Amino acid sequence: MAGRTRTTKKLAQRINLDYFKTLHGIPRWRRILSAVFTVAGLGWLGWHGLRGSPTPYNAGPIANAHHLIAHKCVACHASKTGFQQSVTDQACLGCHDGPIHHAEQTFSPACSDCHVEHKGVLRLAATSNQACAQCHGNLAAKDKNSPPRFAADISDFDSKHPEFAPLRTGQKDPGTIKFNHQVHLKKELRGPQGSIVQLKCDDCHRGAGFEEKWPFGEAEMTPASFTPGTNLSTMLPSRAYMEPVNYMKHCSSCHPLQFDRRIPDAAPHKDPKIVYDFALKKLTEYIAAHPDQIHTVDEPDKRLPSRPVPPIPRNSQEWIANHMADAQLLLWRKACKECHAMTYPNGPDALPVITKSAIPARWLPHSNFDHEAHQMVACNSCHAKVNKSQETSDVLIPGIQTCRQCHRSGSNFAEARCFECHTYHDWSKQKRINATYTVPSLVE
Amino acid sequence: MRIDRTQRPWIIVTIVLFVASLAAYIVYALESPGGPSGGSAMGLTFGIAGYAMMLYAGLLGARKRVPVWRLGRAQTWMRGHLWFGLLSLPMILFHGGFAFRGPLTAVLMWLFFIVIASGIVGALVQHYIPRMMTRRVPMETIYEEIPHVRRQLLDEADQLAATICGPFDGESPAEPVLAGQGAPTATLVEIEQQDRARFREIYLQKVRPFLNDPESQATELASSRRSSEVFESLRRLLSSPVHPVLNDLENICEEEHQLSRQIRIYHWLHGWLLVHVPLSIALLVLGGVHAVMALRY
Repeated sequence: MAGRTRTTKKLAQRINLDYFKTLHGIPRWRRILSAVFTVAGLGWLGWHGLRGSPTPYNAGPIANAHHLIAHKCVACHASKTGFQQSVTDQACLGCHDGPIHHAEQTFSPACSDCHVEHKGVLRLAATSNQACAQCHGNLAAKDKNSPPRFAADISDFDSKHPEFAPLRTGQKDPGTIKFNHQVHLKKELRGPQGSIVQLKCDDCHRGAGFEEKWPFGEAEMTPASFTPGTNLSTMLPSRAYMEPVNYMKHCSSCHPLQFDRRIPDAAPHKDPKIVYDFALKKLTEYIAAHPDQIHTVDEPDKRLPSRPVPPIPRNSQEWIANHMADAQLLLWRKACKECHAMTYPNGPDALPVITKSAIPARWLPHSNFDHEAHQMVACNSCHAKVNKSQETSDVLIPGIQTCRQCHRSGSNFAEARCFECHTYHDWSKQKRINATYTVPSLVE
Repeated sequence: MRIDRTQRPWIIVTIVLFVASLAAYIVYALESPGGPSGGSAMGLTFGIAGYAMMLYAGLLGARKRVPVWRLGRAQTWMRGHLWFGLLSLPMILFHGGFAFRGPLTAVLMWLFFIVIASGIVGALVQHYIPRMMTRRVPMETIYEEIPHVRRQLLDEADQLAATICGPFDGESPAEPVLAGQGAPTATLVEIEQQDRARFREIYLQKVRPFLNDPESQATELASSRRSSEVFESLRRLLSSPVHPVLNDLENICEEEHQLSRQIRIYHWLHGWLLVHVPLSIALLVLGGVHAVMALRY
């Protein structure tokens, strides 16, 4: 008997030629599953569509600040041009004002170009450096003929940001108050009533609003809170900047305006005419209360060694005139002059004119700095030149390299993006917003 | 399809396109004020390119349905499917800036990851297993025809057995399977009655149950090695006139073993398509919806 053979003909005869007309096994299940998955997906979208919910098309979680309107897509997607429902600036401006950045800016980006939503729980104000570098990476003023007034190529803080302007341009402190930091930080300094003191930075420099008593002055004419003079600071906490130095708060205990040893009251730290009237009134009152003192001869005042001994007064007017002359010498030529620059435009015997102190309120008016946020850092760690500064003209702000030690790109460093120090919107031009929502409409 | 040297031009084009896209993405990501976004011009470009590649990869299925159309060689389509399908992943990741935070986009991206992963598994399987199939299943047949072929093998075995022990009463067709097609009619082989009875008993108790249900592991002949041992012992037990029939029956059992092996290998070779194809179709459909609705918002 011949063995079993597998010829092509025999094999072909075994095949059912209609086999491809019916699907079995994997191909059949492939087709079924294709239909099931596709229908399930479309069903999910259709179910939301029937409910009028655009949830599936949500591009991602929105920022905390907008959680209350998370399900009110049209609150932001307000444009209704045909099929599209895109975000409009008008929708943003309905709740937030966005003042212009700069009068000479060459273009205004849309709100959503910088404040990008649907990127999760983050600060919308934490914009990217690229948003600023669109212009500041290659700054061009509207007037092409005049060079930009600011550094023209800044794209990041790490390497491209120039040194702070006062240090870069070698500015001098324009203040006219003569002050020597080195002397005031010496050990065993003579303090109030001859005591020995060691001054610390916060004896004179503190953020606004602290209730704590000043150690070397009196709290007088202190505003409840201090808002630095320039408009960019309005978005910062009140303690961001140091209170301006004030004679009564910071200097008066050690540098009293004593004008006569008989009079316990110090002269007020005010205009020379007021000081003059105060001294005259006090001396007049004194001699009226002590007429027996008119003819007494005083010991020469050690603070006025060059002053010739005046003749013995014959009456109260002469006594007052003598003592007023001494008081003016002490005040104008000694006490006031120690700190103030003064001129005598009406003659050497007339009242002096005090030159304005001109202490800068802020050194970097185009950026923000929060001293309170940095309170854990020792003052001289940043203001390193203070201990050796002898001149008022010394600019004692830290340089950019000091900031860069902490503020650099990278997850192990403090924030270094533009918004950390700079504000895009000029909030001095902020306008009020008309109310758009009611509480029920927000929580419904 | 084997991934061999003939794929080199496709690999080079894919790498060049990927590197160029990556460079463009890095520049775009670093300079975009709001970071990379699918709605930006560059993001849309990546999205359109990625979706076009996905569509092209998906059209392979349609191309297979019209094999006679002159739409390029099937091999070219397959290679395009493989490499453009793979390249569509970075394109879509660049499109979304490596983020998928929304419900639909998250669903799409997970579908996409599964489709790409199953595709890579499929490519590897298709690279190695066909050679294994050739080696281990020389009697391979069309997968869908296996049940049909198995019925014929059973009939053929019955017919062979009938030449020894005569037709089976009420148990199986006694007539020769191919009688109507001019095949030789069953003729009883001349052997002793005792051998005939013994053969009949062994056929009905061991061979036929296996051929009737070859996927069952309960039968003794389900194991290929055990099957050889059984037939070897039968050849010693039965007289030599029966041996040609035993050899043919052993050959039929071996073909059954190979068909079982083919089914297992086929499941490996095509099982991944149960994930890849349905999810690809869902991905393309939902991706189209995403494209339209993203333009709306």
